[in-house]
Amino acid sequence: MANVHVFCFFASYVVALALEGLAVARRSSTLRALGFGFAVAGLLAQTFYLISRSNAADLPPLLSSSHDWLLVLAWLAVVFDLTLSSVLSLSGRGTPMGLFLLPVVLLLIGASDLVGEATSPAMSAATDVVRRGAEERALRGWGMLHASLLVFGIGGVIVGFLFSVMYVVQHRRLKDPRSVPSGLKLPSLATLARLNWWSVILSFPLLTLGMLTGIRLVYLSRNTQGPISFSDPLVVGSGLVWLLMVAFLSWLLRGDHVGGKQVALRTIWAFGLVLATLLGLQVLFNGHTSAPAQRGAAAQPESSAARMEGAARQ
Amino acid sequence: MNVQVVYCTHQTTPLALRERLAFASVEQLTRAYETLRATFPQSEHVVLSTCNRVEIYAAQDEANVPPTQEQIAEFLSRFHGVPQNDLGGALLWQKGPEAVRHLFEVASSLDSMVLGEPQIVSQVKEAYRVAQDNNACGPLTHALFQGAMRVSARVRSETALAVGRVSVASVAVGDFGKSIFDRFTDKIVLVIGAGEMAEETLRYLKDEGAREIVVVNRSLERGQRLATEWGGAARPFDELDQWLGRADVIVSTTGAPQPIVDVARFRAARAGADGKPVFIIDLATPRDFAPGVADIDENVFLYDIEALQATCEQNRRQRTGEIERARRIVAEETDRFLHDIYHKATGPIISQLRAGWRKVCQDELDQLFAKHQALDADERRGIERTVERIVNKLLHPPLEALRDEARKGTPHGLMEALKRLFFTGE
Repeated sequence: MANVHVFCFFASYVVALALEGLAVARRSSTLRALGFGFAVAGLLAQTFYLISRSNAADLPPLLSSSHDWLLVLAWLAVVFDLTLSSVLSLSGRGTPMGLFLLPVVLLLIGASDLVGEATSPAMSAATDVVRRGAEERALRGWGMLHASLLVFGIGGVIVGFLFSVMYVVQHRRLKDPRSVPSGLKLPSLATLARLNWWSVILSFPLLTLGMLTGIRLVYLSRNTQGPISFSDPLVVGSGLVWLLMVAFLSWLLRGDHVGGKQVALRTIWAFGLVLATLLGLQVLFNGHTSAPAQRGAAAQPESSAARMEGAARQ
Repeated sequence: MNVQVVYCTHQTTPLALRERLAFASVEQLTRAYETLRATFPQSEHVVLSTCNRVEIYAAQDEANVPPTQEQIAEFLSRFHGVPQNDLGGALLWQKGPEAVRHLFEVASSLDSMVLGEPQIVSQVKEAYRVAQDNNACGPLTHALFQGAMRVSARVRSETALAVGRVSVASVAVGDFGKSIFDRFTDKIVLVIGAGEMAEETLRYLKDEGAREIVVVNRSLERGQRLATEWGGAARPFDELDQWLGRADVIVSTTGAPQPIVDVARFRAARAGADGKPVFIIDLATPRDFAPGVADIDENVFLYDIEALQATCEQNRRQRTGEIERARRIVAEETDRFLHDIYHKATGPIISQLRAGWRKVCQDELDQLFAKHQALDADERRGIERTVERIVNKLLHPPLEALRDEARKGTPHGLMEALKRLFFTGE
């Protein structure tokens, strides 16, 4: 399990994506099944990797580092892809979900490689098993809630983004049947519009709750080794993203007489911007930064065993 | 195995003659099986009769057992009262591997009028079931028809021969309509004109659950006839604009010499539609809807006969591209089927031959060991092995020859020769 590297599942997903593309071009169910197999293999490898990382950091992957957090997001996207592909396949509709989802998965894994693997300073305090008190437990609990809400909220944004892309592709195919490969079977416009609507409706409250728990987390982290500031670029950026979501949702709920394609295009823009901002902030600022004076102290990842050993020596 | 098929299909025989040779009802088939059983009691039969083909399969264990090709043709002629002269060269004949391959191709829809169409599999299954009900089947036809079902399933799963729709109405509803709407149960279907194509499209729409059908036709009487047939309502032609705005699906098949709905008219009709998607199937030639109608807004989806035919043609080409792969599967399955059958046929001879020779060896060895009691267990085992190797080497050439011959068909001649050469006491 310890020998699994990011490259293992990244390569599996690349092969799965290539096979899915070939399956569409050649209308081959064998290639599609093969692609599905590679995606499952990648998911298994990724699961082992995340478990291994989690054990080493003594924190759930959602809390340990931005690197792991992004990989959890990618992992959820693959689970969603495989589940939906299986359901659609069983119902006789061979929608190539992976063709749309796997590029995002690869993007997330790629981004995870660019961000640091170090545990967030604030969360490092919560891993201190020797001195863990009520405050650390609260920090860990709120941190988990915050990260979970955000990961599912952003998962919803990704799904909404992809359903909108599928809507635009399907719309284009229906307007000009020769413009899209005939092997590309997509759900109907009505289904895609409905799924898009639900992804917006569900992701917004999740992101809002994620924001609120984040504020609580900032408050709780003030006495830790690495307090998070309201001026943290990720906090500021997330706030702006949330405001963008508010604007988009209010436009959507106002119910202006706009066509489904307009909704899809605006979702692509809005959600694309949300994703680009969040990923960009993660990559540029390497997750939540600590106060300058304390950065050096908590920059290196440290296993709980090592920390316990240190505590014992003292 | 001796299998043969006498048949006529849409490719070789005009419809008028096929109709005369068809077995149109179960009663007629029952009578046919009674006659076949009475006339050729040693043979198994399956009759496959569809609108595109009439085929009689006959199979017997032994060679030179009736019916012959001519006898089956004579049966068809007499049963249907069609003079032999009228049959001319319409009836085709295949036997042995070619007959097996033919059935496998038929069941895989490689020989169908619409390549890859799914009905033929059910028709073959039904023919086999009726033959069983009439006690016309036996081990050979069981194996043959079960093999045909297996091949058909394999061709369907391993090739794209049945992928994509190939009729204009099915493409319109199945490929495009179902890509716009989730369901048709809550959609208003407007039919303009009462042409034959409208009926075919309505059939597909009804299959998808369409309930509210409105027919607008210049002749209200004709419109009413069509509406009644499909459970809809007929409206006078002057209500067309009103229904153009309300309908979700529009099927147009009038014989008007120029478009009856231009951009201005449709834009005005659609003013109150709230931008909802509308799916227009223009099956008329010349077209009923001006091409510019499609550009009125993003939710107008207009398909004319040319666009639909282009998709049909594309699907047909894709199916045609799969023929070679499907044929390879059929050839492979035919070889495997025949090998299994012939192996079963030669199996008893091979076993008998081995058993006979082993018995001779064992008798001789028993005598030898009785005479030379001083031989220890190792020496006896060594002698036994040597004798066994000699027997195997001697048996190898005739058995190989038998296997080689069995690849081409049941080797009756060789089997008979082996019996006469080696089983002299029987």
